[in-house]
Amino acid sequence: MRIQILLAWRYLLGRKQRMALTTLAVVFGVTLLFGMNAMIPAMMEAFRHNMVTAAGKVDISISGDSNNPFDEASLDALKDIGGISHSTGLLQKNVLLPESLGGTTDPIAGASAVTVTGLDIPTAQSVRNFQIKEGRFLEAADGSETVISQLLADKMSLTVGDTLSIPSSDGIEKLTVVGILSLSASAGLDEIFVPLATSQRILNLPDKINTIDILIRSDADRLTVENEILSKLGPNFKSGPVEVGNELASALIMGESMMWLFGIMALAMASFIIFNTFRTVIAERRRDLGMLRAIGASKRTVMGLILTESLIQGVVGTALGLMFGYLMCLGLLASFGPMLQSFMRVSVGGPVITTANLVGSILLGIGFTVGSGYFPARSAMKITPLEALRPSLGAAEFRKNKRRALWGLAMVAASVFGLVIGELNVAALSTLVFLAGLIMIAPVMVKPVADTFGKLISLVYAREGRLAQGNLARQPGRAAITASSMMIGLAICIAMIGMITSILNGFIGYLDKSLGTDYLLMPSSLVLGGGNLGANQGLIDRIRNTDGVEAATSLRLAASQTKGAALQMIGIDPEVYPQISGLAFSNGDPATAYPALANGRSIIVNGMFATSAAIKTGDVLTLKTPQGDQVYNVVGVAFDYLNAKIATGYISQANLATDFNASSDVLLLVNRKTNSNNSAVLSALKAIAKDFPAFSLIDSTEFKNEQINMFKQAMSTLYVLVVMLALPGLIAMANTMSINIIERTREIGMLRAVGTTQTQVKRMVFAESLLLSALGTTMGILVGLFLSYLLLKALIFIGFTVDFFFPATGILMSVAVGLTFGIIAAMVPARTAARTVIVEALRYE
Amino acid sequence: MTMIEVKDLSKVYGSGETKVIALDSVNLTIEQGQFVAVMGPSGCGKSTLLHLIGGLDRPTTGTVTVEGKDISKMSDTTLTELRRRKMGFIFQFYNLIPVLDAVENTALPLILDGVKPETARIKAKEWLTRNKLEDRGSHRPDELSGGQQQRVAISRAMVADPVIVLADEPTGNLDSRSGDEIASVLRKIVSDWGRTVLMVTHDPRIAAYADRIIFLKDGRIVDDALLSGDNGDNAKRLKEKVEAL
Amino acid sequence: MSVRHALLGLLAQQPRYGYELCAGFTALAGGRENWDVKPAQIYTTLSRMTDSGLVTLANGKNDNSLEKPLYSITLVGMEELMNWFRDSVLEEPHQDAFYLKLMLSLELDEVDAVRLIQIQRTALFQELHRITELRQSLDPQQQLAQILLMDKAVMHLEADVRWLDMIESRLEEVQHQPPPKPYLRPRGRPPSQ
Ligand SMILES: Nc1ncnc2c1ncn2[C@@H]1O[C@H](COP(=O)(O)OP(=O)(O)OP(=O)(O)O)[C@@H](O)[C@H]1O
Ligand SMILES: [Mg+2]
Repeated sequence: MRIQILLAWRYLLGRKQRMALTTLAVVFGVTLLFGMNAMIPAMMEAFRHNMVTAAGKVDISISGDSNNPFDEASLDALKDIGGISHSTGLLQKNVLLPESLGGTTDPIAGASAVTVTGLDIPTAQSVRNFQIKEGRFLEAADGSETVISQLLADKMSLTVGDTLSIPSSDGIEKLTVVGILSLSASAGLDEIFVPLATSQRILNLPDKINTIDILIRSDADRLTVENEILSKLGPNFKSGPVEVGNELASALIMGESMMWLFGIMALAMASFIIFNTFRTVIAERRRDLGMLRAIGASKRTVMGLILTESLIQGVVGTALGLMFGYLMCLGLLASFGPMLQSFMRVSVGGPVITTANLVGSILLGIGFTVGSGYFPARSAMKITPLEALRPSLGAAEFRKNKRRALWGLAMVAASVFGLVIGELNVAALSTLVFLAGLIMIAPVMVKPVADTFGKLISLVYAREGRLAQGNLARQPGRAAITASSMMIGLAICIAMIGMITSILNGFIGYLDKSLGTDYLLMPSSLVLGGGNLGANQGLIDRIRNTDGVEAATSLRLAASQTKGAALQMIGIDPEVYPQISGLAFSNGDPATAYPALANGRSIIVNGMFATSAAIKTGDVLTLKTPQGDQVYNVVGVAFDYLNAKIATGYISQANLATDFNASSDVLLLVNRKTNSNNSAVLSALKAIAKDFPAFSLIDSTEFKNEQINMFKQAMSTLYVLVVMLALPGLIAMANTMSINIIERTREIGMLRAVGTTQTQVKRMVFAESLLLSALGTTMGILVGLFLSYLLLKALIFIGFTVDFFFPATGILMSVAVGLTFGIIAAMVPARTAARTVIVEALRYE
Repeated sequence: MTMIEVKDLSKVYGSGETKVIALDSVNLTIEQGQFVAVMGPSGCGKSTLLHLIGGLDRPTTGTVTVEGKDISKMSDTTLTELRRRKMGFIFQFYNLIPVLDAVENTALPLILDGVKPETARIKAKEWLTRNKLEDRGSHRPDELSGGQQQRVAISRAMVADPVIVLADEPTGNLDSRSGDEIASVLRKIVSDWGRTVLMVTHDPRIAAYADRIIFLKDGRIVDDALLSGDNGDNAKRLKEKVEAL
Repeated sequence: MSVRHALLGLLAQQPRYGYELCAGFTALAGGRENWDVKPAQIYTTLSRMTDSGLVTLANGKNDNSLEKPLYSITLVGMEELMNWFRDSVLEEPHQDAFYLKLMLSLELDEVDAVRLIQIQRTALFQELHRITELRQSLDPQQQLAQILLMDKAVMHLEADVRWLDMIESRLEEVQHQPPPKPYLRPRGRPPSQ
């Protein structure tokens, strides 16, 4: 082992530049992988922190199976269970505190949300222990009184007698603080307690509770009691507290897997680069290795040497990658933070390093490096001692290439066919096949492409162009691999840019369509489920009665589950909603779908859900409701802008009220009469909104612009990603060029000796590099077109109907990037080559 | 004692049209402590013979026996071990690992064999000193002259105390003076250390250092001349040959 | 010829006795192994030179038989020595005995030319080996002159070996060409070789 490490280390140090470039590729992949994935949990954490701050220690907590509220009457079922000593019903919900009511996203200075817990005062105290530090506890006669936790009191500087205002379904609820709970009390951080009736009013859930807390007798077995309770209550209950934010979590998890994908793509490129480097390294060291074999190094030693070398690079690269990844995450969070704060009302902390991410990044980083060193190492193992003594034979490569190219061609043909079929999975597979096929064709493409572009270059540099052309064609395998890694980078570039332009265009259309109203009353958080408090009928009535308002409609919200996955339920008014706003349909007919919602249990699902659960129009869905399972008919696949990213079903508000006990308006859409005065209506609405601080009034045009800006901003970070993904291609090119130069030192010395000028040598190197990038660009454009088409297909599949925009910008950019890369990659090697000292070059072995 | 015994050794490269018979049933016996030179025109199979004896390549037919053991049927692992412990190799070019210094290069066979690095370094330095390279230990090959590199290679070939040293045109790349130096080192290896040396060369001057010269032509041994021994002896042998006229 | 001039050279340094001249010559020629000249030959040469007036006896006439003769160089002798120095030394490599053997063997079925070459080569190599060993045993700090002389021998032998290699590789061609036949001139005298 020692000898491998010694040799590996020496060889690496002997070629510092190359080692740096190769390692950089690994660093890059790991940075993306680790950094991105440290960001997602940080965001998750932030949301979670915001949503589940309530905590209480009880023996058993029972809640609705789909986290929806249920009837107070359910408590009666528990009366004659022997094992229960005490039980109490609670209504608990996170309520965001708007800034106008003293809310802040700074977790130290205040609270962005409070958890309102409605207590049945007589029974609550027997189940939970409330220790009063100041003032008194709630009493049966209390109405607008509250008891708050010490921490919240400190943060918001409240004392007994002060008033705490929180949003409520009919506007604002002014609560008088009558007691402060000591720190040790079993209360969540920002929990406030009110009488049950009060909470039911605030949340617009009359006679509803969502949690039952239970203490069991000391002699009873917890599990038996729990089972007994659940069987008494029926199938719609579960043990455990209310879970919030499930829908959002799944969206974030999807984001997380996207990041893994990106990271792995970057690593795959890195492994291309490493593979390329090692192949070259082994070609260069054939004699050394053969000599080692001759003097008694075993096959395993030789293989171990190469593997050790890749291991060292993998370890160094991964370590650096983890570091840079952390820094990148910090940077991204810092730049995204303000945006999240204003739109989602959460503050994101520092990067969160999960074990999975850490271990995964390390394993993938080192694994990819060593893995891509493996095949070259195997071929190194096969080097016979004789190769130290005989000149190696180079010509045999060509015929094998041709056969491989035929295979590649067949694969490309098959993949095009696969794309035409129109099945998403097949298409995705086809992309991989297409890529692999192209990589196999690449070696034979080297010569024709070199010839074609060589002619162009020869127009400018007549002699050097010819030489470069020959040089490139001499090592088709290496040129092909280099071009391949560049190809992947550029293909992603083109595909992404194509997708971005397509989406941007489609998005603006959607925004117009699904937010086609004049005014919006938006909840505090754009994610509807995230702790927003709905309004009762009072708000919409007031708006409808305002002068100049033509129509108003609302979205209501509940949660459900089907097929084991969370589903966000949105209640719409099937008559008014389509007139004011409207869903964008990708399947089904709006003309029949809306009326269907009004008649019986019908549902429209969004594309995201339809894809993940494989649902189409005409299917039936069994949804969990607080009243038990209900069967809904799917009448269409469509989405509104706000809920595109979360699995969502749209049903009528009537059904939402009966099946899900939800009748609060979470978002209101308002249209103005055409002949009315905008500013007059606006100010009238503003006055109303003032009474409902949970809502903010938004002029749609303004909002749309804001959204488009935000979207563009998000897309620009994607551009950054795109550039980052293309970068390894540059590294690969620079790497190959320097290797080519190192290898040809002798030859260049010879050229210089017979009278080639430094400028000519430089030009030769530049020409070669340009040819190489031309090859990569050509292939990249092909794959990019393929890929962008596929991505759009995928988008259509999950519900966005986007027209294919030919990524002309992307292609132009790629050509520009290709040329630039070609030049940048050649800069250092060209200088090295030009400076070659003739005598030394001729001595070089 | 017989060190190397070659029986009916043939090596054929390729087949059909492109068939090349590099060695054509060669028989040869080399005693321990002999310094044997192999000469012959280019392409006559000298290197091939050396490679087969060194276990670097496998014969088409025939056997090579080293110290009584038939190496032509050994597994790669056993053969590798044999090369490491019993044989030293010196080649014309590309002899040394460019990234290791002289001491490390010399110590390589020992380290490969699992000898403790310190011990290996000490032995390596001893051999470098014997070959008058004591002050060049920390130089890398590109900082050494061709002759010095070759002496490092000889040190490396000797460091594991091999019984056989095989050298393929060790002076082919050197001027006559450095060539003489290398040859006299090889001579010493035989005379002072009792090793068996088999050396391929084109240079009569260098061959003259050997005790015995084998002449190859078209893959066959055409002549086998003993050079050492007193004049009378040699004259007698010559006379025998003359009589065979 | 050169023995004569070497003796004159030694005498030009100082008058010497006969045994001194014997030892001096052996040392000069690189030792007995290298050029074995018998004292008798030296004395014969000396008396011939005395007769022709190149050398005189410095201790009077040789009547006094008790005293060993001390030789010294004369003016004529000096003149002769200087002439020798002025001449360049040209050996005659084109007069080669082995060549004669080889040419004759080509025509004689009883003798195999290839064997002939091999025997000659073995002999040359044996000589080369002997001289190489000799040369190796010399101390370059003290005996450089001898080493240089050995080198000359080595180089000549080397040239001979290479020449043999060349002949061997082109032997067939030579065999296919007409052998060197005596060219009969009108007067019938064979050409000298
Ligand atoms: N791997 C091979 N494939 C085909 N033919 C080979 C191979 N190796 C050697 N030969 C042939 O075998 C013959 C003997 O080669 P070898 O290298 O032994 O010659 P050599 O005597 O060492 O020549 P040189 O003095 O030029 O080094 C040559 O004709 C050569 O072309
Ligand atoms: Mg050879």
